[in-house]
Amino acid sequence: MPPVINSEDCIKCNKCVELCSEDVFYGSKKGEVPTVTYPEECVHFNGCVSVCPVPGAIKLRIPLPLQLVYWDAEETPQIE
Amino acid sequence: MQVERIKTDVLCIGGGIAGIMAAIRAAELGASVVVAEKGNVQYSGCGRMGNDHFETYIPEVHGSDKDAWIDELLRTAKGEILIGKNLLRTQFLRAYDIVKLWDEWGIPMQYKGRWEFAGHSFPGHPMTHIKYRGRFQKKILAKQAKKRGATILNRVMMLDLIRKGNRIVGAIGVHTREEKLLVFEAKSVVLGTGKCSRLYPSLTPGWLFNDPHGGSQTGDGRAMAYRAGAELQNLEMPQRHIGPKYFTRFGQATWIGVVKDMEGKPAGTFVKKPDRRYGDMICEVNKLAPEQYTESGKGPLYMDCTDITDADYKYMMYWMENEGYTAMTEYMEAEGIDFRKHPIEFSTYPLRGGGLIVANEKAETSLQGLYAAGDEAFGDISAAAVFGYIGGENAAEYARTVNEPVIGKDNPIIKTTKRLIDDIRGNENGPDWRETNIALQQTMSDYVGKVRNETLLKQGLQHLRRIRKKTRQTLMAKNPHEVVRSIEVLNMLEIGELTFLMALNRKETRGLHNRPDYPFTDPTLNKAHIISNIKGNNKLDWKSY
Repeated sequence: MPPVINSEDCIKCNKCVELCSEDVFYGSKKGEVPTVTYPEECVHFNGCVSVCPVPGAIKLRIPLPLQLVYWDAEETPQIE
Repeated sequence: MQVERIKTDVLCIGGGIAGIMAAIRAAELGASVVVAEKGNVQYSGCGRMGNDHFETYIPEVHGSDKDAWIDELLRTAKGEILIGKNLLRTQFLRAYDIVKLWDEWGIPMQYKGRWEFAGHSFPGHPMTHIKYRGRFQKKILAKQAKKRGATILNRVMMLDLIRKGNRIVGAIGVHTREEKLLVFEAKSVVLGTGKCSRLYPSLTPGWLFNDPHGGSQTGDGRAMAYRAGAELQNLEMPQRHIGPKYFTRFGQATWIGVVKDMEGKPAGTFVKKPDRRYGDMICEVNKLAPEQYTESGKGPLYMDCTDITDADYKYMMYWMENEGYTAMTEYMEAEGIDFRKHPIEFSTYPLRGGGLIVANEKAETSLQGLYAAGDEAFGDISAAAVFGYIGGENAAEYARTVNEPVIGKDNPIIKTTKRLIDDIRGNENGPDWRETNIALQQTMSDYVGKVRNETLLKQGLQHLRRIRKKTRQTLMAKNPHEVVRSIEVLNMLEIGELTFLMALNRKETRGLHNRPDYPFTDPTLNKAHIISNIKGNNKLDWKSY
């Protein structure tokens, strides 16, 4: 569930915890890798990703129900 | 529970574009200012990740005949107007001052050294919106507020206004991470709390936070304004938007493409190929087009950017970043989804709650010392910035004329709030806020949804009142975060009930208020529909705009 933190890369600065307006990291402790306590309250605006000083330490995983619907001509379904 | 007391001249509730602009202006005029923000001001409200369009009149571009320009705008771009024209005129005439200020503060309002007008306009008609680099606007505005001495309190949710006579003298709130009540004694209050976003179901069944507003705009301001006795307007007039499916986002005017069906036939008549200057105005003329196509067997509809030039593609991606689309564009890149190759399906988004807190062109509400701006009163970025600024100015001036309020420790609102929180924390085996929110959403959607009539509305209202009563008695939360979510859902239940009452009282069909039992639009109701709470009783009224 979004967001996903790579605990090896995370420098525990807690900037994502401070910024998130939905407070999905509620209960996270200073100086520790943040806990994604309320992942279903993520609104996928990328605030946490944009504020993270280590590229790749935090990523959004876009959940299946929110995937874009798009047409790809190469995948045109064939019906025999 | 710990109670903290804070004295201030001006209290800004909500630190979005409107609230932070109010704080900047009030502090500039010498008032002491506190901004109480539920999240973090650097990243809250609809402008949190940026914006790229700002509606404004620019004298050197539009010429000196302001009225002709405004009239043209009212005829075309604005569509049906459910607010007073004097508000629109004020916005248009003051917006340019804000543009200059923002540019000075470090929000670049020009593109390559010129005013860049694009989007939100019809080919051949006056251009109304400049493109601006709004990606970091919230951070920059928060810095400006602090620079002028405003105190910013992040993670504070306000619950209720405190009234003495006809005057607002303060407010009470909770900390969202600590067990703490905050009582504000304020000479004036500016509400900039946003819309009510989780009232109706999202595009994804059961997924409460697939909402282009974000998830924390839950009608808190209008609910507390109503409880304090301020007038609310047109809550029964819902809105719908259009955008990418299922990754819901506003900002359709940032897309440079043509809305087409599977055969490549455009849904509108405004553009035939992607045009960086105009986008496709069908998205604004008929937001229901995707739904209508699907229901009539012609769907789906796509935003098709595949014919875009390389230069326009780069231009669009630059503005998408500023409009706050990075989560979507980064996801697209990772998945190999390409605007130049793949038409992206567009959807009509579900109903969302409409209406506002009544505020005039000075941002004054019907209560003394209470101001409202932004989506809570009259939205879009430009209007939020203009009326936030005006609200801050008038709130500061009002604060100079009144005595310092004193709120006793046995004030009934303090007691009621404490009791409410103790009840929610003490309940066991009741519903949590999610369960209540889903029950509310299905009731709104089924009984005051796309089709309404008297019997549906009456039945729905009965059901909602039962849900509301049960919720108040049994709602439970296990920590301060869940207390906040619980109070949000209680506010939404309040707004939901008022929506029913207003829908029953509007005996006509108008816009998305579709009443087959009153199928015609009644021209005598071209007025503001008002609800207010007079000592516990609802008063419904019609007033001229």
